[in-house]
Amino acid sequence: MSFNRLDPSDFVVSSDAISSTLFSNNSPSLTSVFTSSVQVASSAGNYYVNVYDTATTESVQFAVAYGNEVGSGSLVFNTAVDGKSPTGTIFGQWQDLVLGDENAKFVFGAISSSEFFALPMERARYKDSLFLGSLSLTLSGSSGSITLTDNSNYVTAVQFCEAGRVFQLITGSTGVRATITNALTADGYSKNSGSYGWLLPDIGTILLNPMALADFRVSGGIELGYSGSFAWGPKVVVSTGSQTPTTSANLSLVTAFSQSMSKLGTIGDFFLNSQETITSDFIFVRPRSSEFNYSENPSFISGSTGEVLYSSFINNPQTYITTVGLYNDNNELLAVAKLSRPLPKDFTKEALIRVKLDF
Amino acid sequence: MGYLNNSVVTVDAILTDTGRQLLAQNDGLFRITQFALADDEIDYTLYNPNHPSGSAYYGQAIDNMPLLEAFPQSTQVMKYKLTTLPRGTAKMPILDLGYTSIIIKQGAALSITPQTLNYFGGNTFESAGYTATISDVRLFSTFEGVGVNTPSVTALNVANQTTTLGTSVSKTVVGTTINLRATTVNTLFGSNTILQATLTVVGRDSGARLTIPVTVTKVS
Repeated sequence: MSFNRLDPSDFVVSSDAISSTLFSNNSPSLTSVFTSSVQVASSAGNYYVNVYDTATTESVQFAVAYGNEVGSGSLVFNTAVDGKSPTGTIFGQWQDLVLGDENAKFVFGAISSSEFFALPMERARYKDSLFLGSLSLTLSGSSGSITLTDNSNYVTAVQFCEAGRVFQLITGSTGVRATITNALTADGYSKNSGSYGWLLPDIGTILLNPMALADFRVSGGIELGYSGSFAWGPKVVVSTGSQTPTTSANLSLVTAFSQSMSKLGTIGDFFLNSQETITSDFIFVRPRSSEFNYSENPSFISGSTGEVLYSSFINNPQTYITTVGLYNDNNELLAVAKLSRPLPKDFTKEALIRVKLDF
Repeated sequence: MGYLNNSVVTVDAILTDTGRQLLAQNDGLFRITQFALADDEIDYTLYNPNHPSGSAYYGQAIDNMPLLEAFPQSTQVMKYKLTTLPRGTAKMPILDLGYTSIIIKQGAALSITPQTLNYFGGNTFESAGYTATISDVRLFSTFEGVGVNTPSVTALNVANQTTTLGTSVSKTVVGTTINLRATTVNTLFGSNTILQATLTVVGRDSGARLTIPVTVTKVS
């Protein structure tokens, strides 16, 4: 007999969280950003801009989308209907996904906002979720740069929204809050405009608070220029019903990435790690002393009549285990495991082989 | 594919092509219930029971040999299974197909009834049947296994008749008798007068395995 039944106690299921780099080529940080003129000029470019790590624009790292409650910052779909534009669509999309209430506002810190920049990471990059405490995002505006991280190290009770866990973005890097100045609150938020956004690790997304970024330097901002609707910062110029395509707002944030990276050179200024839970199925294979001591290997047999190779093999056969096959009831080979070196087996030996299958 | 690091004993496990297919089908067949062991890559002629340094060195040439990583093709692994037989077994089960090679004309039919020799003290037809794999099923208009009517084997034979595996042209059936009929399609031959393939038969209980060459000759 060649097959042995596995007992229910031979199976153990285990889950382990594994963190790894998020960006392409196992890079821990993004050191340059590029956009595709083709993608920007396409109809999708009215909604979002894809960001790549190389000029060949092969691998999307994340996207940038600007959302505005009243549709400002982009051309309306139809001039007869004010306020219905790609930015309004983006706002409603994330409102539904994150808040689950079409009337709710995004509250960054304690400040309500009717606009945001959304940075959804490419799904293949972030795997299951974003790794908390790994974010370090530097943006440059006309009055300098700012580095943002999440406040996961400082919250005692995690907040949840319709998109899972939510953490506030504060000044600092890799989970560590920066030194508090007069431009900041004690939590690391901007002085007047709330936190710098949200980290939504379970959907692999960063929401940035445009008001905080557009604010003056003395209030914790960087005077990021973009086309929004509210006159919070010096660079905000557009009112309801703007004729400025949303692409320009999205590209202004990409420019902020690009500027900060060029200033910092090769150090890179967008650190973020991914996390995934690997569910492993451990299967314990137990060949007993009296089992699997003969082989159908042609070199185990001498001649055409099936005689064993050596006479000593008649009473003291010696076999070597190199491969473990895992089968279903139909004898179909579902999984196979190879040992790194042959495992001797005879009537005096038993073995216990632990096979790990990851899903 | 590469060699495994054998400085420590590790187990490198992967799903096979069949495993991935059944996992995708999501019909409950991806359920591991049993295991088998094999000694693929081992050459027992390297075992030396006359080693001058004694029994501790009999397996010296095998003990630390490097092994290759697992192949995902289910037909390329678990070739030579280890079997459980009574101590004192002098002869291993071997298969007898009645042929050492098959040469068949276009359109001709042939039935093969494998037999297992030396199995539990005699020659026997294994009740669980035999698995037969033809390396290129295009050579045969009929390639079927009959004689085992359990629901699982029936389902297996039907599945193998209807499932395509991309560019793979091999086919596996289960039965106590394997029926073949050579193709009548001339275009397969091109300018050749013969087509060749291999037929691999494995005893489902014993694990005994035999591969023979198959040749189809063009008639006109």
